[in-house]
Amino acid sequence: MTSLATTEAEASARAEPRSSGRLVMASAVIVLVAWVLVPIYLLVVNALGSVAAVTAWPKALVPEFDLASLAFFANYAGVPRALLNSFLVAGLTMVLSIGLGAPAGYALARFRFPGANLFRLAVLMTRAFPLPLLALPLTVLFIRVGLDDTIIGLALVHTTLAMPFAVLIMASLFMSIPEELEEAAWTLGCSRLSAFRKVVLPLALPGIAAAGIFAFVISWNEVFAAAVLTIENKTLTAFLLQSLDVSPLPLKFAGGAVLIVPALLFLFAVRKYLFSLWGIANR
Amino acid sequence: MMRRKQGTMIALAALTLAFSVAGRAEAQGLLFWSTQAKPVEETQKMRTEVLGGFGKPVDYYGNDAGPFFTRIQAELKAGKGTIALLGGLHGELASLSSDLVDLKDVLSATGDAKINPTLVSLGTYGTAEQKYLPWMQASYVMAANKEALQYLPAGADVQKLTYDELIAWGKAMREATGSPKIGLPAGPKGLLHRFFQGYLYPSYTGSVVTKFRSPEAEAMWNAFKMLWEEINPASTNYGFMQEPLLTGEVWVAWEHTARLQDALNQKPDQFVTFPAPAGPAGRGFMPVVAGIAIPKTSPNVEEAKALAAYMLKPETQIATLRATSFFPVVEVTLPDDMPAAVKMSGATVAAQSAAPDAKPSLLPVGIGGLDGKFNKVFIDTFQRVVLRGQDVRQVLDEQAATLKDIMTESKAPCWAPDKTSEGPCPVE
Repeated sequence: MTSLATTEAEASARAEPRSSGRLVMASAVIVLVAWVLVPIYLLVVNALGSVAAVTAWPKALVPEFDLASLAFFANYAGVPRALLNSFLVAGLTMVLSIGLGAPAGYALARFRFPGANLFRLAVLMTRAFPLPLLALPLTVLFIRVGLDDTIIGLALVHTTLAMPFAVLIMASLFMSIPEELEEAAWTLGCSRLSAFRKVVLPLALPGIAAAGIFAFVISWNEVFAAAVLTIENKTLTAFLLQSLDVSPLPLKFAGGAVLIVPALLFLFAVRKYLFSLWGIANR
Repeated sequence: MMRRKQGTMIALAALTLAFSVAGRAEAQGLLFWSTQAKPVEETQKMRTEVLGGFGKPVDYYGNDAGPFFTRIQAELKAGKGTIALLGGLHGELASLSSDLVDLKDVLSATGDAKINPTLVSLGTYGTAEQKYLPWMQASYVMAANKEALQYLPAGADVQKLTYDELIAWGKAMREATGSPKIGLPAGPKGLLHRFFQGYLYPSYTGSVVTKFRSPEAEAMWNAFKMLWEEINPASTNYGFMQEPLLTGEVWVAWEHTARLQDALNQKPDQFVTFPAPAGPAGRGFMPVVAGIAIPKTSPNVEEAKALAAYMLKPETQIATLRATSFFPVVEVTLPDDMPAAVKMSGATVAAQSAAPDAKPSLLPVGIGGLDGKFNKVFIDTFQRVVLRGQDVRQVLDEQAATLKDIMTESKAPCWAPDKTSEGPCPVE
């Protein structure tokens, strides 16, 4: 009996450093998860709550389902249209930044050419100027060439904003795929293009998708350019955000939910690409 | 598997492109580009209840000042516009005044509507042209939770308060409840600069610009420091006072009537409104005027003018009041079923401007694009004197130099309550 107790005590003593490490790990995980989830929880509870529940404290654990605040947005003229615009602009931004960013990233990763560093810097420079500063001349130009108030025009601006990330993510992505694989494909009869298509692309696809998702999120969240460059074709963010910060609290929460839920659903749908990017990085 | 995914991607891209091209073809209504009625509920009411009666489709958008100005300036520069009509405050439209269409003919076409003549003359910016038509007006008043009334100092009438009584009241509330119960909208979205320009300065000095650094102003800032002791420190985060009033965080607040309406409408029995306090020089207050203007690049000036005239009809003005809590600029008889906020603040705005010691103070006139810098002078002074506790005399002298530069640069003559001046308004 005593011997049993001793071994147990010994076992627990040996396990102690590991379990305290685990405790730290677990609490860090909890803090990080709460960091993300608590605001979303409060947003949802308040969006679903009645007007009185929003100013009340403490919050109910399970939200009541008073849809008055959310119903307001369903009837608010232009929300479905703006939601569609947001998806179109973000989708187009995603396609454009992959279409332009992937070749640029590939070139940076595989070729040595004069000005490569300058190019890297120049791509980053597009983020160095605040948009409100660029917006006026840009709008004048867009009005003159007829790009004003079009989804393509706005997507072009958002692509410029997403480009640095797309290029740099994809450059490091292609760098992590061994050149030898590509060379082996060449010796087996592939051209540069078909080797890229058959060998490099399948390996890089999850990473490319992740860069695309990044572009999507950047476009989804951008307000200023969207508010100035479009009028009839406003994105949801531009359409709601300016009004929301001066709206009453219940509508702020409901509008916030309207803004983030589609983006969350989208991220949820494509999450496996994001995770597989980590897979590549770990290989 | 991979091929199918690629196929989906390409299909998605094609679909996006098709949609984005198709989106261009949609018909457009008259575009009403505004800085007012920005909260979503107000925008909604503007669209359905106010503009719905015009008969032709109107797209109403409420914007932040940044996008508002960038967009209209871009259109003016490009010489081609989609914005038919502008709605903005007197001070906001001032910087665009040389690019606005003369609206004199609209004024004569409004027929029997009695438009407030003072406001009409404000819309000329001192030129021979009618740059904008008055659209709606508002003011800033005080609101209090009824629980606060029991702590009023003896002999004080809440409808005829003075700043000294306000300080005493705040002290009584703080001592009774353990926390300061007066709130001011001193956050980034708040309108505290208007409190200094339209309320504190006129009440203590009878001036805004001329006596900026006078001994009276020095006494005023010292009094305000005492008031700040009784003010909830969370004030530096407040934007709209209706929220802290509703939660009970704050019991007494100064705020724009439009930014109080939620509290007054939700709990009309819980709150009272009353005129701003008086100081040694009178009861300073600031009427706010919003106007409608037509930019020279408007795609359809005739229809825009028809819409401007429609906005001045008494029925439209009442609908606008219901939508925004901004008061009419034409003579109207108000129906009895108005929302609580309108009834309460309407009576208070009237009482405030009719008070025997009333000292009306206008929004800055003629300083155009320097409006932001002008406001910053007051906010900077507040931050340095009150939040950082710097020496009042020194701060006033330094900020007065900045103020003088703004006046010289804009060449703006004095506006009420300062006495009219030849040339730029002097800072003594």
